[in-house]
Amino acid sequence: MAISERVFGSFRRKPKEPRGRLTNLERHETRWGLLFLSPWIIGFLVFILLPTLATLVFSFTDFNILHVEDTRFIWFDNYTRMLNDPIVTQSLVRTLKFFVMAFPLAIIIPIAISALLNSENLRFRRLFATLFYMPYMVPLVSAVLIWGGFLNPATGWMNKFLGSIGIQGPDWLQSTTWVYWALLIVGLWSNGNAIITTLAGMESVPRELFEAAKIEGAGAIATFMNVTLPMVSPIIFYNLTLASIGLFQYFLEPYVLFAQAGDPGGSTLFYPMYLFQNFFQFQEMAYGASLAWVLFLIILAFTAVWFGLRRFWVYEAERE
Amino acid sequence: MKKHLQVLLGLLVVSSLLLVACGGTPAANTAAPGEATTAPEEPSGPVEVRWFVGLGAGAQPEQLAGQEEVVAAFNEAHDDIELVLEIVQNDVASDTLSTQIAAGNAPDIVGPVGVEGSNLFTGLFADLQPLIDSSGYDLSVYDPATVEFYREPSGALTGLPFAVYPSFIYYNTTLFDEAGLEYPPHSVGDPYVMPDGTEVDWDYDTLREIGMLLTVDASGNDATNEDFDPANIVQFGYHTQFTDARGEATQFGAASFVDGSGNAVIPDNWRAYFNFTNEAVWTDYWQPNNTYLNSDLLLAGNAFGSGNAAMAAIHLWCHGCYSGADFDIAVMPAYNGEVTAKLHADTFKIMDSSANKEAAFTVLSYLLDEGAPTLLIAYGGMPARQSLQADYFSTLDDAHEQQIDWDVAIEMLGYPDNPNHQSNMPNFARATERINEFQSLWRGTAGVDIDAELDALQTDLQAIFDEAN
Repeated sequence: MAISERVFGSFRRKPKEPRGRLTNLERHETRWGLLFLSPWIIGFLVFILLPTLATLVFSFTDFNILHVEDTRFIWFDNYTRMLNDPIVTQSLVRTLKFFVMAFPLAIIIPIAISALLNSENLRFRRLFATLFYMPYMVPLVSAVLIWGGFLNPATGWMNKFLGSIGIQGPDWLQSTTWVYWALLIVGLWSNGNAIITTLAGMESVPRELFEAAKIEGAGAIATFMNVTLPMVSPIIFYNLTLASIGLFQYFLEPYVLFAQAGDPGGSTLFYPMYLFQNFFQFQEMAYGASLAWVLFLIILAFTAVWFGLRRFWVYEAERE
Repeated sequence: MKKHLQVLLGLLVVSSLLLVACGGTPAANTAAPGEATTAPEEPSGPVEVRWFVGLGAGAQPEQLAGQEEVVAAFNEAHDDIELVLEIVQNDVASDTLSTQIAAGNAPDIVGPVGVEGSNLFTGLFADLQPLIDSSGYDLSVYDPATVEFYREPSGALTGLPFAVYPSFIYYNTTLFDEAGLEYPPHSVGDPYVMPDGTEVDWDYDTLREIGMLLTVDASGNDATNEDFDPANIVQFGYHTQFTDARGEATQFGAASFVDGSGNAVIPDNWRAYFNFTNEAVWTDYWQPNNTYLNSDLLLAGNAFGSGNAAMAAIHLWCHGCYSGADFDIAVMPAYNGEVTAKLHADTFKIMDSSANKEAAFTVLSYLLDEGAPTLLIAYGGMPARQSLQADYFSTLDDAHEQQIDWDVAIEMLGYPDNPNHQSNMPNFARATERINEFQSLWRGTAGVDIDAELDALQTDLQAIFDEAN
């Protein structure tokens, strides 16, 4: 029997009792609950669901914001146009390339840092946790602007520091290769939320599990792999899902650094940037809506895959 | 319970849809955009005229007071019209106006707006000619050529001259003095005196020579020195500031990426410009690349304002870009014997959808006449009317103690770019985006094959133009 199975054996929950008909009290409480929720429900319908459905309708039209009166249904023409638009393919490939680079780091680094912060031998743990979380509290636009100055090869501190130790720093923001690493650095710097949630998960793992693992003769690595990781796997799953969505919607950093231009040489014209260009720069609302719906479907598919794979690696006490 | 929730949600969806469907717009705004709405038969009070500011100048904090002053003065003098000022920040002004137009809630007047700011809304501005004819507005105060500048290819006159912003060379006198160089000429045809006393033509070859002498690295070597370190430049000789690729290339003569048949074309003089400047940036280093332009050294784009650029070609509206008093202005150099000083021109336009065009024209006339002196000072614009120019420059002299030679600005008005570098193109926004991509490529990357990239640009622009047709 694996260590995890033997350790987790005593922590299984009782199955829930099947629900019957609602009592009068429950019905009363439900009515009040819905009443209190109604502002949110109305807000959701009016400000989120209806506009979302509106974009779906727009995507089947030739809607032009300056000539609304000429709008007519063109059905799938916008989607067909996407197939023939080389920038759509290029921006999508670029987004996937950045996803492949950033995704492992966005998951592994918070786990590694949280494991270090969770170490019993580390002094000033709270101070370090605060320091790692602090960048997350800085407004991202300000942070990106500061990073833009920091990474400037002519006057930025990064290359001045590298130069002081004999390394010729790259042109972080104008090189079509290095710009992705620059964006990764900026992204990881502000990843404090994932670190804090993972750390919270690690701190809430019952001490008895570690003691049981120790009694079973598990070393530090085996304990981490068989006890800590499975116990924080729901949080990893949460961070993983958010990271996937965030990377497919990656927009703010390149937008602020390169002002919609996709510099250098179009290498930061990610799919969401192209979507934004179509909506607000070219004012092609219908085509932009089609791009948005395709992005939504891609994200939905990825999220569905993660949820489908969840049962193979995410520990859920209820299911156990 | 589940059934009840479904019923509730269903009711909410239906009621929301009904609310949206029945909400409608005020009766005065029900006409489709681009179509004149019917004026109320018996207005109960003064006619409201909405003035939308933000497509060009006007949204800066220091510009607000002047506009508010003009609005207050107008409203005091007119009982039958109430002028309402709407100020939107420039970066969202186009989107805001588009949304208002789509909602059938467009303003009556927009401006000040330049050529480029108007391009997105081509066809949506009213023809002023009938209003000029019916009101007897006196056009003789303007140079007829400046009036024709605002005539659309369709024949509609969509603006009247208000403010012009000629371009010229701003130069930093301290940096010239440090280098021991003579200042550039203040009059077209005057020669430039080189350090050895020889007189040479004021052209782009001369500009290159002195530009290299004025470009300095951290060790104090200029760009002609063999020890010059291009990785550590602390001062540049020249920059064409705050403009796009079309604006830059216009220094070598006015042209367009669109030929008379609507096809994409790369003019020879513009091809020559991009090759010349690519060499200036990446081989001779007297003009900054994007890395330097985005750095603190050059104030993230305001190169002349940083005090670390000896010369910059910019428009009159940038007379406050540099806070020091050690600068003056010079004429543009010649290319193949021809001087071209690209021109910006702002005006006010009446939306074709306005229900109150006559009242809007009364306002527009006021802005161009009685309100002009206050507004021109607020915007930093040079009056298109010659009769107002002396007062205008006298006010600028109060702001610049060193007594700038404004005759240069007036002389440069005589060398405008025609066609204008901001003129419309088919599929304007997409074409502009592609041109900007080309600009950022060669300014940001060493070793670009300019001719090959220009050929690619022409192919792409043709596809973009074809898409519009």
